[in-house]
Amino acid sequence: MTTPTLPFADLEQVYEQLATTLDGLPEEQERLFLAQLALALAHRVSDVDQVMAAIEEARRGVEDTGSR
Amino acid sequence: MRPAGRAETDSLYFDYPHFPFVRPPELDGRAVRHRVAIVGAGPVGVTAALELARHGIESVVLDDKATVNDGSRAICISRHSLEILQQLGIDERFTAKGLGWTQGRTYFRDREIYRFEMPHSDQERFYPMVNLQQQYIEQFLIDKAEESDLVELRWQSAVTGVSQDDRGVTLEVTTPEGDYRLEADYLLAADGARSVVRKAFDLSLHGEAYEGRYVIADVRMKSDFPTERRAFFHSSALPDSTLLVHKQPDDIWRIDYQLGPDEDPEQAVEEANIRERVATIIAMLGEEGGWELEWWSLYKAHTLALDDYRHGRVLFIGDSAHLVPIFGVRGLNNGLADAVNAGWKLARVLQGQAPDRLLDSYTPERRGATLDVFANAGRSTRFMTPPTRGYRLMRDAALALAFHNDYASGFADPRQVTPYTYAESPLTLADRDAFSAGPIPGAPLINRRLGEDDFLLDHLGRGFTLLLFSEDGRLPDDLDKRLVDLRARDPEFTVVTLSRQVAEEGPGPILPDPDGDHFAAYGATNGTAYLVRPDRHVVARWQRLDPAALDTALMTALGGE
Repeated sequence: MTTPTLPFADLEQVYEQLATTLDGLPEEQERLFLAQLALALAHRVSDVDQVMAAIEEARRGVEDTGSR
Repeated sequence: MRPAGRAETDSLYFDYPHFPFVRPPELDGRAVRHRVAIVGAGPVGVTAALELARHGIESVVLDDKATVNDGSRAICISRHSLEILQQLGIDERFTAKGLGWTQGRTYFRDREIYRFEMPHSDQERFYPMVNLQQQYIEQFLIDKAEESDLVELRWQSAVTGVSQDDRGVTLEVTTPEGDYRLEADYLLAADGARSVVRKAFDLSLHGEAYEGRYVIADVRMKSDFPTERRAFFHSSALPDSTLLVHKQPDDIWRIDYQLGPDEDPEQAVEEANIRERVATIIAMLGEEGGWELEWWSLYKAHTLALDDYRHGRVLFIGDSAHLVPIFGVRGLNNGLADAVNAGWKLARVLQGQAPDRLLDSYTPERRGATLDVFANAGRSTRFMTPPTRGYRLMRDAALALAFHNDYASGFADPRQVTPYTYAESPLTLADRDAFSAGPIPGAPLINRRLGEDDFLLDHLGRGFTLLLFSEDGRLPDDLDKRLVDLRARDPEFTVVTLSRQVAEEGPGPILPDPDGDHFAAYGATNGTAYLVRPDRHVVARWQRLDPAALDTALMTALGGE
C-alpha cells in the first residue's frame, strides 16, 4: 500500500519554516516544541502504523549516525 | 597563497606565461577610436572579446596583470559553458585537458548517505561538468584571442578612471611607460569583485554577505579516486564544519573547508595551520601516499548584485555585477553566460542591425539569472553552512534521515548550476501553439546526437538560427522566398532543417531524422520551427511557421518596435 506523501518542494518549505521557528524559540524550549510538533502531526495521520514507522525511522537515524 | 619560499606564480604543475607590455598608439599621441573596450582579461572578459570577434567586432582588452590568475579558483565548467566554448571554437582544448564528471557523494559522520547523478545521456556532446583549473581556462581563452585579428590584449595596463557621455566612454590607463586616455563606443566591465569601473561610477552591490568563511587549498597527490564531488558533513577530520573535495587535472585535488565561527581567518591561512588541517583531512579520506601543498586562498559567501547591469554605455559582466556563493559552481559559469549575452547584443547594435535599446534587455535577462542563483545558492549555502541553530538542527536531522530514507536525500543535493531560462524576457515570445516536448521559449536548445561525433548544436550558425522540421526537407514557397530576403539582410542568419526523408539541397544544412527521434524530442511535426538566438536560447517556436510571424519574432528578439 502506498500512501500519498508530501511533494519535495513542500517538504523544503517545511524545512525552512521549522528552521526559522526554531530560531525564534529559546534553545531550552527546543525539545518540548519538537515533541509537541510530533504529536500534532501524528494527530493528523489516520493510520497509527504510519506514525509508528516514522518514530522508528527517526530512532534509527539517531542510532546509526550517532548524533549528539 | 603559496608555501614559504615560492613566488605567487611558482606552481607545481602550471607554467605561468609572461605577457609583455606593448606600447599602444595612444601613448605616442595618435588618436584611436575603439568600438568596444573590455576591462579585465579574466575568463569573462576574454570570452566577451571572443564572442564579439565571432560577430566581426573588434575590441581592446585591458588588464593590470602580466600573467593569468594566481591560483586554480573556479574549477567547474558546466555543460552550458562548454557549449559556449564550442561556439567560440575552443571546446576541444577544454575537454582534452579537463576531467568530466557526472556524480557525487555525500557523507555524514564519515558514512556515505547519498549519491547524486547529474543529468547525462548519449545525446550530449559534453559532460554535465568538467573540472579544470582557472589558469588553464584563462590560458586557452587568451591563446584563442591572440590568434584573432579582432582582439587586442593590452597587459600591464591598469584602468584608474572612467567617464562617459552621449558619444562614448573614456578610460584613464596607467602603464609602465606612462598614462594615456582610451576612447571607445562601449565598455564591458569584466574587472571582477573589486571592479574599478563600478567604483568610478559610484555604483554599489546590494544584497547580503553570509557570515561563513572558507579555505580552498590545492594539493598534489596521486589517488585513484574517480572525478566526483564529495561533500562531508561532521566528518572526523572536521567535526563541526563542512568539507568539499574535487579532483582537478595534473593530480591536483581541491580541498574546500569552512572555518568555525571562533576561528581567526588570518591565523587559519598561516601555512602551518593549513598543513595541519589538510593532513587531517587527507588521512580521513583514506589516502596513504604523500602530498604536496600547491596553493590556498580564503573566501566568503555573498549574494550581492548591482541593481542595474547596464549603466549608459557600460555593461557589467561577471563578478563586477554580482557575487554569488561558491556552492553550485555559478560564479564562472554565470559570468561566461553574461559575456555571451552582452557580446552578441553589442555586436548587433554596432553592426546597425539592432537599436541601442537591445542592450536594455541585458539586465532583466542576466540579473534575472543572478536572482535565480541567489534563490538556489542561498538554500545550498544554508545547507552547507547553516547560519543559525535552527538551520543547523534541521540540516543535521535531514542528513540523519537521509541515511535510510530517499525522501530526505533531496536536501543534500548540491543544486548545481542550470542554465537560466529567459521566459520572461522582452526578447522572448510565449508559445501560442501547443507543444508536447522541446525547449520552451527562453530556454537554451537541447543537444541531440546525429551520428558519430556529430550533434545538433554543431550545426548552429553564428547569428540567429531557424531550426525547421520537415517531412521531405522542402520548404513552402512563401517561406523559401522570405528566407532568401532575410539572408540578404543578415548574412549571419542560418537555416537548419531536420528532415525525415533524404533531401537534396536546402537553404542550409539538412540533417536526417529517419526515425523521427529529433522530431519527438522537440515536439515537432511537419512544418514546426524554432527561432534560436546567437546564444542558443529559443526566441519563439511554431507548429507551422507563418513567414510574417518570423519577421515579428526577429524584430522582438532584437529589441523590436
